[in-house]
Amino acid sequence: MSSHSILKWGIRFYITLFFLYLFTPLIIMSAATFNDSRFPTISPWRGTTFKWFEELWNDSGMWQALGNSAIIAAGVLVIAVPIGVACALFLSTYRGNGKNFLYGLMLSPLLTPGVIIGISTLIFWRSLGVSGGIFLTMIAQTTFIAAYVMLMILARLQRFDRTLENAAFSLGASHFQVFRRILLPYLMPAILSAAVIAFLQSFENYNTTLFVKGHDTTLTIYIASKVRTGLTPAVNALGLILILITILFAAAYELKRRHEARQSQINPETDSEPISR
Amino acid sequence: MDSSVHLDHVMMKFDDFVAVQQTDLKIESGEFFSFLGPSGCGKTTLLNIISGFIEPTEGTVHIGGQDMRRVPANKRPTSMIFQNLALFPLMTVAENIEFGLEVRGVRKAERRKVSERLLNLVALPECRDKRISDLSGGQKQRIAIARALAVEPRVLLLDEPLSALDLKLRQHMRTELKDIQRKTGITFIYITHDQGEALTMSDRVAVMSAGKLQQVADPMTLYRAPATPFVASFVGENNRIEGKVVAIDGTQVTLDCGDLGRLSGHTQDSLNLGDSALLFIRPELLTRRTSMSDNCFMAQIRELNFEGAYLMIEATPLKSQQRLRIQLLSDLNLDDVATGNLIIFGFAAEDAMIMSGARDV
Amino acid sequence: MFKQLSERFGPWVSIGIFLLMFLWLVMLVILPQILMIDYSLRPNLPPSQIGGPDDQYTLKNYATLANNAIHQSIFFKTIWSSVLVTFCTLLLCYPLAYYLAKVATPRQAALCVLLLIIPFWINEILRTFSWFIILSYRGPLNALLLSLGFIDRPIRFLSGDGGVIVGMVYAYILFMIFPLYNAIESLDSNQIKAARNLGSGWIRTHYRIIIPHAKPGIATGCIMVFMLSAGSYAVPALLGSPGSRWFTQIIYNWFFEGGDWNQGAAYAFILLLLCIGFIVLMMRLFKVGLGDIAR
Repeated sequence: MSSHSILKWGIRFYITLFFLYLFTPLIIMSAATFNDSRFPTISPWRGTTFKWFEELWNDSGMWQALGNSAIIAAGVLVIAVPIGVACALFLSTYRGNGKNFLYGLMLSPLLTPGVIIGISTLIFWRSLGVSGGIFLTMIAQTTFIAAYVMLMILARLQRFDRTLENAAFSLGASHFQVFRRILLPYLMPAILSAAVIAFLQSFENYNTTLFVKGHDTTLTIYIASKVRTGLTPAVNALGLILILITILFAAAYELKRRHEARQSQINPETDSEPISR
Repeated sequence: MDSSVHLDHVMMKFDDFVAVQQTDLKIESGEFFSFLGPSGCGKTTLLNIISGFIEPTEGTVHIGGQDMRRVPANKRPTSMIFQNLALFPLMTVAENIEFGLEVRGVRKAERRKVSERLLNLVALPECRDKRISDLSGGQKQRIAIARALAVEPRVLLLDEPLSALDLKLRQHMRTELKDIQRKTGITFIYITHDQGEALTMSDRVAVMSAGKLQQVADPMTLYRAPATPFVASFVGENNRIEGKVVAIDGTQVTLDCGDLGRLSGHTQDSLNLGDSALLFIRPELLTRRTSMSDNCFMAQIRELNFEGAYLMIEATPLKSQQRLRIQLLSDLNLDDVATGNLIIFGFAAEDAMIMSGARDV
Repeated sequence: MFKQLSERFGPWVSIGIFLLMFLWLVMLVILPQILMIDYSLRPNLPPSQIGGPDDQYTLKNYATLANNAIHQSIFFKTIWSSVLVTFCTLLLCYPLAYYLAKVATPRQAALCVLLLIIPFWINEILRTFSWFIILSYRGPLNALLLSLGFIDRPIRFLSGDGGVIVGMVYAYILFMIFPLYNAIESLDSNQIKAARNLGSGWIRTHYRIIIPHAKPGIATGCIMVFMLSAGSYAVPALLGSPGSRWFTQIIYNWFFEGGDWNQGAAYAFILLLLCIGFIVLMMRLFKVGLGDIAR
């Protein structure tokens, strides 16, 4: 065997291991859902059961947390997407002093640990008389999710041909008509992708939410608290459902993205990099 | 309807850089007018000033007799065809054509009538519901024209719209553009660096260089009587020979051209003895001579290119470094025209133009 | 500034853009940070005394860390553990990123990227929880090791820092892989061929051609993973024990158990400084600008 093929097999072996490492924990966790054991594990296997789904279904705390998470994620989407779009439009238009500074400032929430965003939001809004809860969670999450939206929109804007705007303008369209009929339709795919990402990011956030949630509980907080106190495989059932939903979302999102990429013949990998935290 | 364009003392400065020097120009109603010049000469800036995308630093633009100061691009009676065409990729062909009417609030049935008429004009009625990405280069070109015409502009501005097409299509589109212009009677203002385009289509051409109008004239005059050394060498091919004035007889001037000897031509400039001057003689006006006489020189042939109807020769006069181009009709007796041979060339003094060296750019 | 925008979008859209941008930057990004720093410089007083004579700027809250040996050791442990996590993820990801970007066929790469994206989208808490199950005392890992005869009795994986580090590598590995992949992918493959052609060995090719090109990606990946590790609360909370606390847990305790927000703010600011310091270090080390990061 030549050294080249050893290298080739070596790297294949490594890739296989890597993906095993990536997926085995998730599979074990999912499998534990069906084990008829009080504690979530797969060893030893005490018989297959679906009762943990039933227990989850009857858990009013979970439903409450799910409702809160959905409200917060919807709120974040509504606030963060317009902010991110506005900032991307600004960055793609403005040429002059302070642009780099503003860009750095807009990126800074992504480079700040989530706990610090939570803490600073909590302190600031308490001084305005607002205490922790659903509203403050939306605000805190928006702080960094808007920056993700901004990056995604900016990536698409950078490929926009501005003579299209001039063309529409010279055909008699007003500034608003140009924006509404030319730029916005062009940005729409990126805005939709950003909305999906914003929703998911909000839904799964833990570190920031922990500090600003007040007495309200989100689904992620609920799972973490269950793991530490009162852990049963019902948590695994919830995890399994969330994983399945996520896979569905990810696959649909990715398929749509590739479809678009093929249509506009843009490299799919540079279009919008999925990021979460 | 008056669709003339009048530039009155228009000047454009970007910081310290003067992109367009003070310009006065009147483009007549229904004229096919071209701005011709190398890239960076300021022609696109001038077009953007007419279209309203930029405000001139000084001066005013009148379109159809109306002052266009503080009239933004979307309110001017112009429409523009862009170099990359800028068709809206997310709209169908019909939506593209109807866009200008749509933003004016024209009803759908009305718009449809217009787009159908225009699709017939550009001979693409079957493309109505196609996507832009499904069109060929030539089809895109025509849709861009139709879209610009849909808003019934008084003036159509064209920014090198043919440059993306291949040679054959480009030549075909020239006739088509000229045809559309004749049918619609709209003033066309055309920007190009391709003299072939400018000379074949235009009623008048403005040659630009370094932000300055060098000459505004019909194509024939530009070729026969260039006003400046720049025009003489930019429009058509020309041989340029430097020399010093040694004799003046009315409009006829004789230059001492060093190794080429004394050569005469006519001039419109006022020259004095001893001035440095430039002599221009076109390749097709140089002829073979059998013996040396006035306005003749001996040259060695360096390169021969047979181009069908004629033969293009590159030759170097004896003792000189200069390369001259000579065009000989191929039905002449060309037996001794071969690389390396020495041949006598000459020209008639009235065919050569002499210009002051001070006006060189 | 406004002129450039209104020339493109008209006045109304431009006003909207400015309002949204400044609301976000001022109300959500700048002012909260400033107030947090202000808080960290004030003493913890009952509400009645706020604004009173005792309410003066002090460095007392910062001195707490200097005087508390336990907090200090946790702080330094957080740093070096985060560095370790960063280093491990880099080491694990580089071969895969290289394979995806330069060796795999486009189809293989597309499939692998999709397979990477799926766990990437799954909740951090769930990914951590899965390791909680694996590493638990009666969990599958102990069962496997016992049945293979490697150990005689189960190991308490979840009682030290090891579990936390393993969990973090797993939780944040994908923040390393995507920046690396994007950076290596943008390298012209002919450069690698040329280097090979000139007789450069594999190690030298990586060291001299690929790694220098991938610098911005390496820097981005390292910054993200370090920031996430040092600022993580979820992973140490789930996989750690009381004996293996993380700096974020101390911060949390100041806020919600100690009730001393000023003290908590000071610790939070120290954590922020640590992250900024790491970013600056990475930018210096790899000679990249802020514009190259988070691309």
